[in-house]
Amino acid sequence: MVMGVIGYLYGLFTSNMMDIPLIKPLVDYLLNIPGINFIVALILWRPFFAIAIAPGLGALMLYLLWIVYFERKLTARVQWRVGPLEVCRPIRGLIQALADGIRYFFQEAIVHREAHKPYFIQLPILAFIPVLIPIMFIPAGKVVGIKSDYAIQLIVAFIALIPITIIAIGWASNSRFAYIGSVREAFMYFAYEVPFVIAVISMIFIYGSGNPYTAVEKQAIVPGAILNPIAFIVYMIAMLMATSRLPFEIPEADQEIAFGPFVEYSGILFGLVMTLAYEKLYIMALLFTILFLGGWSGPPIPILGDLAPVIWLVLKTVIAISILVIVRSIYARYRLDQAIRLGWSSMLGLSLISLVVCAAVRWIL
Amino acid sequence: MDEYYIEVPVEPPKEVRSLFIPIPPEYVEETYRSEDFLVLVGPQHPGSGHMRLIVRVHGDIIKEVIPDPGYVHRCVEKIAENRLYIQNIPLVERPSIMDAANLNLGYVRAIEEALDIEVPERAKYIRVILAELCRIGTHLYDAAILSVFMGHTTGFMYPFGIRELICEALAVMTGVRFTTSFIIPGGIRRDVDNKVLKYVYNITFAIEKRLKTFEKIFIKNPTVIARLKDVGVLTKEEAIKYGVVGPFLRASGVEYDVRKVEPYEVYDELTWEIPVADAGDGYSRFLVRVNEITQSLNMIRQCIERIPEGRVISDQICENGKEIRGSLFDALANIVLPTGEYTTLTECARGTAVFTIVSDGGSNTPYRLRLLTPGWLYLRGFMEALKGERLADLQAIYGSFGYFPPEADR
Repeated sequence: MVMGVIGYLYGLFTSNMMDIPLIKPLVDYLLNIPGINFIVALILWRPFFAIAIAPGLGALMLYLLWIVYFERKLTARVQWRVGPLEVCRPIRGLIQALADGIRYFFQEAIVHREAHKPYFIQLPILAFIPVLIPIMFIPAGKVVGIKSDYAIQLIVAFIALIPITIIAIGWASNSRFAYIGSVREAFMYFAYEVPFVIAVISMIFIYGSGNPYTAVEKQAIVPGAILNPIAFIVYMIAMLMATSRLPFEIPEADQEIAFGPFVEYSGILFGLVMTLAYEKLYIMALLFTILFLGGWSGPPIPILGDLAPVIWLVLKTVIAISILVIVRSIYARYRLDQAIRLGWSSMLGLSLISLVVCAAVRWIL
Repeated sequence: MDEYYIEVPVEPPKEVRSLFIPIPPEYVEETYRSEDFLVLVGPQHPGSGHMRLIVRVHGDIIKEVIPDPGYVHRCVEKIAENRLYIQNIPLVERPSIMDAANLNLGYVRAIEEALDIEVPERAKYIRVILAELCRIGTHLYDAAILSVFMGHTTGFMYPFGIRELICEALAVMTGVRFTTSFIIPGGIRRDVDNKVLKYVYNITFAIEKRLKTFEKIFIKNPTVIARLKDVGVLTKEEAIKYGVVGPFLRASGVEYDVRKVEPYEVYDELTWEIPVADAGDGYSRFLVRVNEITQSLNMIRQCIERIPEGRVISDQICENGKEIRGSLFDALANIVLPTGEYTTLTECARGTAVFTIVSDGGSNTPYRLRLLTPGWLYLRGFMEALKGERLADLQAIYGSFGYFPPEADR
């Protein structure tokens, strides 16, 4: 019975396996060894590979290590400093983020007396669900978790769930600064969500479908950023607002309300909530790459086979984010009312213009 | 719209009872019965400094702020009563270590006024150079704090990078980076070589060049202007009424500077202007201080160009040698001030500082030293400027005043 199930699963995995010519001899050799062959088949099963390795969790972790280090190093360079250096000097402090993570892990996680204890501890972990679900729908060439004609809409819907968990975190903390922070988070959500959704809708309207494959196909010659530059700008500002990057770092303003909703967290729980914004940035940037930068299309690399589109997608995403993080060292923080005014006047206006632009583009195409 | 109180039993939060907050419990209950609530900012808050601000907010709007200073009170006035006059010089610098020379100058001038000491010209020029260097350093420090309060970390690092040059200049002139204790009754401790003065002269140009970078990244940044413009406005009448001093008074349109009104040292011989703004908001308070940096640099250059040769210590203090080096305590340890009260006004970086020495005529320690620092004088105006602004503006206004609790608490 058990052998039958395993045999069935093995057949399922091998029928839809990653095709990478570079490591094909090794994979063939490992598939002949009983026991190991099942694990190898599982890892190389395309849906599993998409979710667990790239562009899913594995790539996300690597990206987190890179972007925290890169952001600090870039900011330091702008500010006449050196930045992280002492953790592993030969590689210029590259594993600083890893060291920080280990430190968080061994720190005491304090739960204060006034907190709603179960929610306070659960929510940082539950907050990962809306962050990780969109990964299932993000394809990279043939590597995809769940194929859907409405993938882009679904990703946007799940991104919209993330602020709810942050507001819940602030509520469970039961502290004054956390309360102010979660109210600010709610207001910011209110400011960016409508222009963001309209920008995505205008791109879907150009491509004629919410299917990422169609979107990437249509961008074979001209990328979406040139097809509709206004939607491109609106999406970029919305991305800064949604992930509370610096001109809009309002919910977490550390000098005003001391990290807002996350003020009471410490230890590994703080480590988890601190990376939430970076993970949200990753998901939004993946969608950004698919909508505006031509997705996973790039010069073909025959020797990597199915892996090449994955690499192109992750690489484009990480480069886009790396360019975006420089705003942190240029701008000061806006006030809440100024950010909301920006969201409901200029950004809403621009996103409506982008709808007109996309109608024009569609008429030309 | 009329506001109605709902008569429900209100339980003030626990911390209000346990944290020794200087407000009556009735006030807390009254606050909680209306729609307001109290936010305690500090003393462990990253944006409060060493003080607590009890903020009463209505929604997002600040209705009233009650300061709770005194967390860094170090009894400077009391300690001064048990020390020799000469030993008090390092003590009075401590309230604001980046502004040491100005406070030092105020105290020493009170002693000189009592003893009728004539200070040599060269010493006066060097005193002015030190005071202006400290003024630039303090303004840069405050600009850095203002920028980090608004989340602009680059604006935090640049002024500290520039201030390093000030520390370097003080180090080559006096031997220490700050808290120089270089000014003593009758002159200064050592003569400063002309080559060193030339070096300081060159440093002023380096500072000016680096300030241009800072101007590009911070002063003319649109987000900074959006945050500071029309925020925390003090009108001319209000500023006078609440006794605001220094650059913050000048930002409200009052042209008052002790260096012009009652010139001391060589300020009346130098060519300079008082930077004034009319708006009285956070941005003009910041701009006035930025312009003061330019004026101070100009003053230092003029001083170095005009400085005469000669003694640096008065012959009333040190008759034989040219310098007091090696005989500081012999000459100054046992000075006794005649009976009376001696007051000096000094324009420190953040405003007017008042030094009063009361002497009983017999002992070699002051009977009473009164030190009124600018931070303490403009605290009231700072609290009034916060009313009616948003909670997010608390830190921006705090930074625009450059409030420094150690200086105010003394």
